[in-house]
This record gives sequence, structure tokens and C-alpha cells, in this order.
Amino acid sequence: MTDPVGKKPGLFKRVTGSRELRRQPLFTGISWLVLLFLYAPVAVLIVFSFNDNRSVVRWTEFSLRWYTAALDNGDIRRSALISLEVALTATVFATVIATMAALATARGGAFRGRSAAIALINQPLMIPEIVTAIATLSFFSILRQLTGVTGLGWLILAHTVFCIPFAYMPIRARLSDMPATFEEAAADLYAAPWQVFRHVTLPLLMPGVMAGAMLAFVVSLDDVIITLLVAGPGETTLPIYILGQIRRGVTPEVNAVSTILIAVTVAMVALTFLLQRKRK
Amino acid sequence: MIDVRHVTKRFGIGAPAVTALGDVSLVIPEGSFFTLLGPSGCGKTTLLRLIAGFELPSEGEIALDGDPIGHLAPHERPVNTVFQNYALFPHMSVARNIGFGLEMLKRPKSEISTTIEEMLDLVQLGAFASRRVDQLSGGQQQRVALARALAPRPKVLLLDEPLSALDLKLRKGMQSELKRLQHETGITFVFVTHDQGEALAMSDQIAVMSAGAVRQVGTPEQIYTKPQSRFVADFIGDTNIVKADLLGYEGDRALIHFGEGETLAVHAASLSLQPGPVHVAMRPETISILDEGAETALLRGSVIDSTYFGAGSQMRLRLDDGTEVIAQVEHPRAPGSRVGLRCDSAMLHVLED
Repeated sequence: MTDPVGKKPGLFKRVTGSRELRRQPLFTGISWLVLLFLYAPVAVLIVFSFNDNRSVVRWTEFSLRWYTAALDNGDIRRSALISLEVALTATVFATVIATMAALATARGGAFRGRSAAIALINQPLMIPEIVTAIATLSFFSILRQLTGVTGLGWLILAHTVFCIPFAYMPIRARLSDMPATFEEAAADLYAAPWQVFRHVTLPLLMPGVMAGAMLAFVVSLDDVIITLLVAGPGETTLPIYILGQIRRGVTPEVNAVSTILIAVTVAMVALTFLLQRKRK
Repeated sequence: MIDVRHVTKRFGIGAPAVTALGDVSLVIPEGSFFTLLGPSGCGKTTLLRLIAGFELPSEGEIALDGDPIGHLAPHERPVNTVFQNYALFPHMSVARNIGFGLEMLKRPKSEISTTIEEMLDLVQLGAFASRRVDQLSGGQQQRVALARALAPRPKVLLLDEPLSALDLKLRKGMQSELKRLQHETGITFVFVTHDQGEALAMSDQIAVMSAGAVRQVGTPEQIYTKPQSRFVADFIGDTNIVKADLLGYEGDRALIHFGEGETLAVHAASLSLQPGPVHVAMRPETISILDEGAETALLRGSVIDSTYFGAGSQMRLRLDDGTEVIAQVEHPRAPGSRVGLRCDSAMLHVLED
């Protein structure tokens, strides 16, 4: 069958495409293998978080004791709170900055260096995180010495920075999909530029902004490498705490905390997709 | 009154710049239904966007009732637009869409709600105030777009091919609806279309545009019966364009000759054309068919075919110089037969090239 590229995009092409693909030898087998190795470890982790036993390899019976233990553990509670504080604050800052960047690059007309600006905003996604982490560590050490300022602010700043490209992508995608005529119509109906933004651009952009915020939140919540290097004493986030516990062997308690973390992350990502599909 | 003075609009900078409008001057009378007509890419939408303020002129000025507005932002102009795809705000109800302009103008709440009701009545959508716009049909969205643009009572309403997204039947209905609205409100309507039938049916005046220039401005009748150039004659449709020799002038008449028959004194678009070959507009309904040998024949040719359409027949003929013409006649001749043609000289019209 010839591929009707360009003539009938969307559904038609996709259906024939996937049917062709499914006829390839080993297609089903490979698919199942990929799914197995992606999700079996997670499934094992979740299952053993409900195990009434110290072991994480031998099942005895169902119990919630490790969840109780995890929630009673002061260190876990403290690091979870720090994680939330960092993630929420960084998300707010990153989303506001990403929204402004998206507006400038998608609606600001053709200014000099626009392509460069877009590339610069997205570049952090391509730089190895360990490089960013070490660079941030040394840069912040200098700044800390110069200013004498210490505290959680530095960690929040580092998170804000690496969250920006994640927040930027869905916001800019939404803005590019949005015809500029809505904003023209508002301006035509006597809305000054900031009123256009408040009454038309922002409400229509909201699904993209929410999606961007949630991606940023999840990325911040999950971060290990940059946090590990930048966080000061007493600034242990949940992933760092888990990492510390793992060094002494995997315990069901860690499984329980990880399961909660997975649940939160999955919920956020699911919500993101739902918001993106809404009004499309 | 809108006064477009020597407006040029270029897109891009330097060598790759595209001139969308080249030195256009135009006067749009107050309270008229004025149509910008032309093929796509002729600059009609650019001119509309310049009046709305979405684009700024590269050169020239636009004045509204004497005040220059060409460089004001869109929200500073007492001009509203009905967009081609309506651009209704999807996150607002029908009523809020209609009231948006007045809300931005900070009018009192009571005035806004009264106007919304008036407008809903005007476009016959009284029952739809609280609906979301995506629950409306295309025709209803069209009327909401109209109501939204009329609610602030602008001095000028700009309409950018607003009927092109509707099916034929709805389009006919909206044509008379638009004329009625223009009449009732007395607002100047500037209507952009590429559909000459629509333009002829609705307008007080038409400006025919091509390649970034205004080719002719006139009433629908003037444009239809006295097209100035070949382009206008061709674009307005079903006018035959026939070659003739211009011999000279007699008063305000041009003397032309078709190669045989007598010399005719006819109307000319311009009295400054050089004698020599010219093109003449010849309306299908003014042609009479004679026998081939008839001495009064001005042109000769053979019948290609004919189509019966009730009130008569439309015959296609090929003249001896190869030009194809259409004639409306009561009694068509058989395809292939040789005929002579004559035309009422009062209805002939010499075109500019």
C-alpha cells in the first residue's frame, strides 16, 4: 500500500501505519519485552512495599506496616516537606519565566536573535546533568562566598533554572497552536495589550501553562544529581534521603516512600495529559 | 468617511520585501456599504488590516473623518472587525463575547447588558445568550461575530470575507441580513470578498483591486456595465473581450472598427489611448446573431455549442481571429454553423489594457 503522505494526515495514515507495523516479525514479542523491562521493576517495587517482611525478595503476606513506618519517620517527613517546598517554589518561578519566554518567542514578532533565544532556552535539556550540576556547584560557591547568603534559596534557584525548559515546551506549543486572531479580535474590541493578555491570551493558554507547571514540578521533585551537589546541610530532599537509605540496602520502607513518589508523579503526568487534551 | 492616502505596505525588509499595496488612494463614503473586491493576493485583506490597525502602513496615511488613524494601535481606533473565521472567544459565553468591547471601554454594567440584549435581538439570537460559542452552528457564530463587532457602535465595521465559510444557502440569507444591518445601523461597512456576485449584490460602491492596486471604483452598475480595464471586465465575469482597431476620437467617443462593417463611435474608458489595436468589452446579452453573409455583420465566426437555460440560450462562438465569445440569444444556431455577429454600439466599451 502506498503511503498517502500529505493527502490524508491524521487518523487514516496512523491506522494503516500501525497495521503495517504490527505485521512485522517479532513486533509483538519486542513490544512485550520492552514493556516488561520498563515496568516490571516498578511493579516489583510496589508489590514489595506491601510485604509484611523485612526482605524485598521474599513475599510473606500483605501489610501496610512500611507505609506507617515511613509516615512515622521524622527524616522522611522533613525531606518530603523540603522536596515540596523546593518543587512548588521552583515551579512557580519557572512557569512564570517560561510563559514570558514563550510569549516573547511566539508572539513577539521576528526580533533579532529569536532562533538563538529558543535554542538557548532549550539547550539545558541537551547538556549532561552532571555537567550542569558541577557548574552550578562551583558558580554558587563563588556567589555564596561573595554575598554571604546561605539557605534553601540557592537550591530553589538551581531547580528553577533547570525546570524552565520543561515548562517552556508545552506553553510554547500551545501558544504556537493558538491562532493570533483571538488576540487581534480582543485588541480590535478596545482591549489594551495587558487586557488582551489577561482576558484572552492567558485563559486560552492556561492548559499549556498548567501542563508546563506540572512537568516542572515532577522534574524538580525527581531531581537527584543537581540537588546532591547544590543542597546545603539540612536541605535533604526526598530523593536524596532515599539514595542515602539505599546505601544501607533496600528496605521495604524505601519501597513504600518510592511508591508514594511514583503515585504522585503518575498523577501529575496523567493530569498534564488530560489538561493538554482538553479544549483541543 | 475613510480617506486612504497614498498608502504603501511592504512586508519584509530589503531585497526580499514584498509590496502588498502600492500607493493606494481611496475614499470610502460615510454610511456606505463599500466592497473591496479582487482575487486572492490582490491586497484587499492587507488594506482591511491597515484600516483595523493590525498592520501599519509603510508609507501614506489613513484618515477617519479627517483624523489620521493610520499609526494608532487597534484598540485606539473606533473600528471593529468581523473576522473570516469569526475568532469568537471560546472561553466566554455568547453574551460575554458580545459585551467584550463595551467591557473594555469601561461602560457601565447596565449599559452593557442593555446593548447585549439589543444586539442579540438585532441578529435574532435572543435565546442563545448563555450558550458557549462552540455550541453554535456556523451561521449562528457568524451572527455572534457581527453582534460583537457592532455592539460598541463603531464608526466603521470591517468584514473580512465573513461569508466564505458558510454554505451557499446560508450565504444568500446572510447577504440580505448584512444589507439590512448596514441599513438599520447606518454604520460604514467595508466588506472584503473575492466573489464578484456577492460584491455586485450587496455594495453601494465597489473597489476592484489587483496586484496591490485599486483598478476601478464605482457602483456595481458602473463596474458591471462600464469596466475600465481588461482586468476588471475579465474579473467581473461573462463579458466578452474582443479585439478592434481604434481609429481616433470624435468628441468623447472613440471610433473603432472591427475589420469589417462600419466604423462605430463608442464609449471609452479613457480618451488617451493611442490609435491602434485595442480591446472592447461586449456583453453577451447585447450581441445579435446574423447570417454569415449579412452585410451589417461586424464580426464573423462559427458556433461551438449552446446551452439552454430557460429564458434563452447561451451560445459559445469562436471568432475568425480565434477569440471565444458568449452570446445570449433566443434562437441558437447549430454547432459548427458559420454566423455573423452584430452588437448594439451603445453597449460597446473600449477598455484600458
